[in-house]
Amino acid sequence: MGEGLSELGRFSDPALFILASLADGEKHGYAMMEDIEALCGVRLGPGTLYGALARLERRGLVEPLPSEDRRRPYRLNAAGASALEERLRSLEGFARAGLGRLRTA
Amino acid sequence: MSGFAAWLVRLYPREWRERYDEEFVALLEDRSVSFADVFDVALGALDARLSPQIQDRRPFAMVARLRGSVLAVLWAWVGFVVAGTGFQKMTEYDDFVEAARENVVVGAAFDAVVVGAVVALLAVSAGGLPVVYAALRGALAEGRKDVPLLFAAVPLALVVFVGYTLLLTRVIYPSVGPLAVHAALNVAFFVSLVAVFLLAAIASTAAVSAAVSRVEVDGRLFRFALWPATVATLAMAVVLSATVAWGVALSVQSPALFAGDDGILGVSTVLNWLVIVAVMAACTCAAAVSVVRGLSAPSVTSSCVDGTRR
Repeated sequence: MGEGLSELGRFSDPALFILASLADGEKHGYAMMEDIEALCGVRLGPGTLYGALARLERRGLVEPLPSEDRRRPYRLNAAGASALEERLRSLEGFARAGLGRLRTA
Repeated sequence: MSGFAAWLVRLYPREWRERYDEEFVALLEDRSVSFADVFDVALGALDARLSPQIQDRRPFAMVARLRGSVLAVLWAWVGFVVAGTGFQKMTEYDDFVEAARENVVVGAAFDAVVVGAVVALLAVSAGGLPVVYAALRGALAEGRKDVPLLFAAVPLALVVFVGYTLLLTRVIYPSVGPLAVHAALNVAFFVSLVAVFLLAAIASTAAVSAAVSRVEVDGRLFRFALWPATVATLAMAVVLSATVAWGVALSVQSPALFAGDDGILGVSTVLNWLVIVAVMAACTCAAAVSVVRGLSAPSVTSSCVDGTRR
């Protein structure tokens, strides 16, 4: 499933940010943007956010919830959580290996 | 901001807006939109138009898209026929008939117009009649009367047009006596005939469009209809080219005739020809865009398979 995120091309990073943002609870678009900016310092544009969100929804990794005052919250489902965990573990391994090389250099 | 947000969302394709419009506008209204955001939204809209991943692949949406493409070609063809009728009316004047006899290119161009028009008519019939039959059958199976009544508008419009033409030619003109081409009464009669013709064409096409849209028709019939629609579009392109060639050849062969005032109701020949060519070109382009849009729609069958996989 981690490979699935890589297949999203230029949307793979925004998709990862969205999954990470939804990991601690459901959020609507604006809340996701604010959370992502606070979490990793990246300010996603509205077009990028919804380009990634639409792809995640199509792949069944996030689920839309009933709209609240025109703002529709999304939540991470089991497949999305699994994809997020796999991707983060992959990045964790990559970070550990890179840092290890730096220490030995 | 609300109006601007709504305008920005219009950059996205209809299928995308049907799904995300409300929440996306709300998002744009929740923050101060910067120039970078506008650029980002424009890129997102372009992506939504190019990428099949975020298009609505639901079977009914595909059928609607195919139906829309087929009906758009029908409207374009009707517009083309109206322009072609204007060309036929203009060239029935003796001097144009003589020019077609004397000049091979003018004559061949006129023949190509006729052949192209017949091919387009046959293609539209081949693609349209199965759809009309399926819509009628579906409507009758559901016990609906509105759809057959809408289809009945086509022969009714034809009867009205033919009836008005007969009224003018058999009753009104003989009763008022000979009229000069530029006589106000003659112009008024002719304009009224053109108006009835246009109204009949628009009413017929609108009725068929409404009838086909009101009842469920198998998407495969619309997909099939796209191939005759392609043939019709190519035939329209041939007729358009032949009409252009006719004017160019006439301007070389008979410059005085081409530069004269021998158009419909004695208007400038060049102006009359240019208007006809412009309308034909616009209709051909509209038909070509609709055909490409329809042919690029994902297969209805594969959409069903894709839908079950998700």
